[in-house]
Amino acid sequence: MAPFELLEPRTLREAAALLASGDATVRPFAGGTAVMLMMKMGVLRPTRLVSLRAIEKRYSGIEAGAGGTLRIGAMATLSTLERSPVVRKEAPVITRTLRTLSNVRVRNVATVGGHLAHADPHMDLPPVLIALGATISTVDAKGGRTIPLEQLYSGYLETTLGRGELISEVTVPRQAPRRAAYLKCTTRSVDDWPALGVAVVLDTASENEGAVVRDARIVISAATDTPKRLGAAESALRGARVDDSVLRRAGDAAASEAAVIGDEHGSAAYKRELLRVYVVRAVRAALARNEG
Amino acid sequence: MRAEEKRGAVGRSVPRLEGKAKVTGRAEYVHNLRLPGMLHGKIFRSTIAHGRIKRIDVTAARAVPGVHRVVTGEDIRAIIPDPHYGPAFHDQPILALDKVRHVGEPVALVLATDPHVAEEAASLIDVQYEALPAVFDEVEAMTSKAVVHEVLRPAGTFPDLKHLQGRKNTNIALDYHLRRGDAAAAFKKADRVFEHTFRTQQVLHVPLEPFVSAAVPGDGTLTIHTASQSPSFVRIEIARLLGWPESKVRVKVPYLGGGFGAKLYIKLEALVAAASLLTGRPVKVSLTMEEQFYTLTKHAATIRIKSGVTKDGRITARECEVWWNGGAYADIGPRITQKSGFTAPGPYDIENVHIDSYALYTNLPPAGALRGFGIPQLVWAYDGHTDMIARELRLDPLEFRRKNLLRDGRPQATGTVMKDAALDKALERVAARLDWGKPFERGSGTVRRGRGIAIGFKAVIAPTTSVAIVNLYADGSCALYSSTVDMGQGSDTAMAQIVAEVLGIRIESITVVHPDTDVTPYDMATLGSRSTYHMGNAVRRAAEDARDKLLALAREVGLSGETTPIAEVFRKKYGMQAGNIIGTGSFIPTYQPTDHDTGQSANVTPFWMIGASGAEVEVDTETGQVKVTRLVNVSDVGTPINPRIVETQLSGASIMQLGFTLSEKMEFSAGQCTNASLAGYRIPGMLDIPASIANEAVDSTEHGGPFGAKGVGESGTFSVSPAIANAIDDAVGVRLTSLPLTAEAVYRALRTKQGSPLKA
Repeated sequence: MAPFELLEPRTLREAAALLASGDATVRPFAGGTAVMLMMKMGVLRPTRLVSLRAIEKRYSGIEAGAGGTLRIGAMATLSTLERSPVVRKEAPVITRTLRTLSNVRVRNVATVGGHLAHADPHMDLPPVLIALGATISTVDAKGGRTIPLEQLYSGYLETTLGRGELISEVTVPRQAPRRAAYLKCTTRSVDDWPALGVAVVLDTASENEGAVVRDARIVISAATDTPKRLGAAESALRGARVDDSVLRRAGDAAASEAAVIGDEHGSAAYKRELLRVYVVRAVRAALARNEG
Repeated sequence: MRAEEKRGAVGRSVPRLEGKAKVTGRAEYVHNLRLPGMLHGKIFRSTIAHGRIKRIDVTAARAVPGVHRVVTGEDIRAIIPDPHYGPAFHDQPILALDKVRHVGEPVALVLATDPHVAEEAASLIDVQYEALPAVFDEVEAMTSKAVVHEVLRPAGTFPDLKHLQGRKNTNIALDYHLRRGDAAAAFKKADRVFEHTFRTQQVLHVPLEPFVSAAVPGDGTLTIHTASQSPSFVRIEIARLLGWPESKVRVKVPYLGGGFGAKLYIKLEALVAAASLLTGRPVKVSLTMEEQFYTLTKHAATIRIKSGVTKDGRITARECEVWWNGGAYADIGPRITQKSGFTAPGPYDIENVHIDSYALYTNLPPAGALRGFGIPQLVWAYDGHTDMIARELRLDPLEFRRKNLLRDGRPQATGTVMKDAALDKALERVAARLDWGKPFERGSGTVRRGRGIAIGFKAVIAPTTSVAIVNLYADGSCALYSSTVDMGQGSDTAMAQIVAEVLGIRIESITVVHPDTDVTPYDMATLGSRSTYHMGNAVRRAAEDARDKLLALAREVGLSGETTPIAEVFRKKYGMQAGNIIGTGSFIPTYQPTDHDTGQSANVTPFWMIGASGAEVEVDTETGQVKVTRLVNVSDVGTPINPRIVETQLSGASIMQLGFTLSEKMEFSAGQCTNASLAGYRIPGMLDIPASIANEAVDSTEHGGPFGAKGVGESGTFSVSPAIANAIDDAVGVRLTSLPLTAEAVYRALRTKQGSPLKA
């Protein structure tokens, strides 16, 4: 690891300005869990790191606004999110997801903004937040913008963020009355990076004979180069009363529509089969919850 | 015995002597060592698997501010004319000379006072190679045109390697053969013949303390601080390389953060020695976790095994062909090929046996000893094969094993008659703990349950020597000088218990002096579960020698040595608190070498280790995921010196093997390991450990061992892999013959069984 300069600006705007140089060896540094690994491996050799740790405290806050909409500061750590009572109340699927996200040492330092901006498809929160319909706000020299989280990802480790553009906040609509589940499949050790993540958010009308799905959002991660919504699988559920044959159709639709890639966690052919099974299990898990 | 301590120290679960120092961060490790004027070395490594070095350009690296020197293989040749080392073959250069033979082989060393500067400069080294054809597969290496070493160079230490001297155009570093009875004739007469081929993958030790060594040049002397399991070997080998007397090389070893067979023989010691002599300054090299993947691994192996069986389930003949993938340098691989090779037919009473076992060079990172010394690979094959035969013959797998088990008094394949080997007890205890005779809940829907058993055995490496010194001080306290390395296995505590038992003194009054070759006497190495038996016997003899001298001294001054406090005996003799009593002990077991042509020996090992396991699993039929819900490990360790430490050794070994069974695998692309990190290579975490894991030492006595004890470090690894594969077969009727047993492998086997194989 070569020596580098570490800057610690006091405001987010100042940080964005320091990063706007266009020099690819100048990088932001929040929790540092991914940056440090890349530096150790020698794939990232920064000349300057801009630490975000000293920026305004309000970018670390978590609060529920009108109608239970969550506003999560990008510098909130994952463990703050995990332990937040308002998150547990308004979007319990996030709390559950965090319990098996990496490990407690990583969660204690990794930040929500870094987790999203790293754009590693193996991350757990992007599919969950996309399924819930989250948006992100950014800050840059020109001011900033607000976009659906879904539009952040452009490829493996690639985002649509410009140089000097930083995520400032994540906005998540209240989960209820929707039902939600996130299932992650690891194939080597339990705490391995996932081979597949499936997030499901269902808007259901309960009837005596079972749940009818008014709307469904299904987002997968890890098996594809970016988090991906599965439109065909969603359509198979939309308007249907959930039974085994509907679930099978949704699983089959998911398996045929996703551009699954193979890696050390499993071949593409195998992950496709996992997807077929896990979509069904995730829908079942969501419906089994009566929190919404 | 003395009045101070009548309770007896052996057989008690004494807490580990070093436990408090370790959990409070006070234990000494080489990684924490800082020496005045010390240079840090960073290794530049080969990026290709096999090639001739055309040019090494270190100009840019040397120009980095803060770089003290860049060392290449040719620089080392200037001070060490033949800089090749190794325990079996002198085949490994300190830094690559002329050729590189695997990705990750050390080519140059950058020295700087700041390790980050050294690392940065190392990345600027430019080497041009002429690529040569490479060979990676152990079976292909038998006939490959790609030859890893132009000429074989046996070290001369082992008589059975001498015939290989100067052999050319071969990758076979050792061929070992065993012939007993007439296997060919027996196969003809057999009612049924079964043949299967098994494979194991290349895996890594992953000690959480990576390799680290430091060398300090003196006035015609050299001191090496190293995380090594074999300080005596390091001293002798460094002295040989330098052409110095042993007495001028001093090797010191504090605690190790795990070794598992990786930190044996020469690893970084020759490199830091050469660099310190070239610069005249202390030099330290500390590897990263990632660099461990290029240093030493466990042999991948291909094992073909064939059995002739009678209608009623007696095994009459067994043929084993074993190919060990040794990687680019032999390390201790040829010993594994032979010393483990002769147990390839398993712990069964078989009249006709035919074994061919081959150590092969390939262009992969070198392989050596790893907790079991080749045994887990062999048990994986023979106790999967055994189960497959039992299923084919519709015999209960336990009953089939009982019928064929090798019992005390019967000859093993080498001809050595079994003694103190509680195979039957271990098998029966596993069966009892699994309630084998009772009905078993088989699951339903997409979750199916199954159970399996397996049993394996191992001969300890022989013959090897241990020497110990007990220094009794004038106040009755005592120091034990031993070159056994405590790398977490609890040897300090066990050895102190032996001293306390013999001398009748409190264990707290004993200091165990850590290996320092200027102080502690010779020990072959801490490996292969040999220390409790060999060093234990030497320590017992040293303590008995001290006790005899104490009794003689008491007699001389007219006191009763039996009842007088030790301090009073000294005071009476010397008039004050003064003097020492030095007791010495050494141990080497009897041994008869195996015959070169037949592999026969009447005395091939001083003791046998036994490890049996039982597993219960749940298999998800939709995904192939396997959950081990219960694991039982039963071993014959003789009579435990410290029952609690024995239990942790068994559980630790079984969990390590669980990783090698289910998840761990070094992945390669053109000889490049593509998952060389703990993120890419998964060892078991706490969540992977079975909910129920039980460990047991059967009631047993090793008559040649100290207080009836024998080795325990490896036994828990032997049978875990086949027990789990056998349980998967029991659950869902598919048989896997390659490790690891990944969910995808199980799923693919299920699909194939259903007649709709999954496409590649």
